Amino acid sequence: MTPGGADPDDELVARAGRGDAAAVRALVARKLGRVLALAERLLGDAAEAEDVAQETFLRVWRHAAAWRPGRAKFDTWLHRVALNLCYDRLRRRRERPTAEPPDQPDPGPAPDRGLEAEDVGRRVRAALSALPERQREAIVLCHYQALGNIEAAGLMGVSVEALESLLARGRRALRGALADLAGPH
Amino acid sequence: MTEERFRTLADAHGGDIGRWPAADQAAARAFAAGQAMLAAQILAEAGRLDVLLFADRAVAPSAELREAIIARAPTGRAGRPRRWAMGAGLGLGLAAACAAGVAAGVLLAPPSVVRLLAGAPSPPADDVSGLVAPAGQAGGV
Repeated sequence: MTPGGADPDDELVARAGRGDAAAVRALVARKLGRVLALAERLLGDAAEAEDVAQETFLRVWRHAAAWRPGRAKFDTWLHRVALNLCYDRLRRRRERPTAEPPDQPDPGPAPDRGLEAEDVGRRVRAALSALPERQREAIVLCHYQALGNIEAAGLMGVSVEALESLLARGRRALRGALADLAGPH
Repeated sequence: MTEERFRTLADAHGGDIGRWPAADQAAARAFAAGQAMLAAQILAEAGRLDVLLFADRAVAPSAELREAIIARAPTGRAGRPRRWAMGAGLGLGLAAACAAGVAAGVLLAPPSVVRLLAGAPSPPADDVSGLVAPAGQAGGV
């Protein structure tokens, strides 16, 4: 729940649940980018991330009519659903060791030009993909999804202290992997 | 807040106190006000990684994905004919076709047949009802 007490998504979810087409569009506009970004960074695969986004919203449509304001924050519930779908896919990957790993972005710049923002982005995405799963998850939830520490720890099923440790270790690993880019100014 | 705690928070959450846990922000700002040089150094160091992390921008959802998701929302079906309605329309069409066929048959039939038909009892009103799916059995959702 937000500090003010009211969930900013409650009204939109309720209207979407009543079949209000404008609310459906507004809810998708507000949340699809977040869900897609979460899945892309956790799975490292754009097509799989789109599948997760579709499955997540199917569950939203299924539950919107029965959504009860005040029981849970909608954004947290949405992250829970998307995270579980990502976990399922990551688990299936682990169970099929021979499966082709998803394409990783090419971490290096083209040889004939310097580092541009896009290249840096690719390097960062590759470094993020190389992190242990739980560290990556902590960084994605806190840094990219901008969830609060209590919310993120709850979603991951760990204590706030454990989350802080995962974040610090993840960031340390990223600093190491990106040391040539993050040099002292 | 101690220097150690300040460093721990910067290590975990980066160089922007505004993105640290809400419960720690006031104390962190107080520490930064009292230890300006040290705090600035810690924050700047953590902030360098933040800048890099923000270079990884998420791709915007495609219009196709957005529309596919919207189309599967409950309202996505509102503009489409429901199955039961289509069934009812088909039933009514068939009923109309049958009625037209009977009428044409009467017009083209020999008089004896017409007389026979005229003397026959009228078919029950619900004869064609089986062709029209009741709305209650629709399952158009």
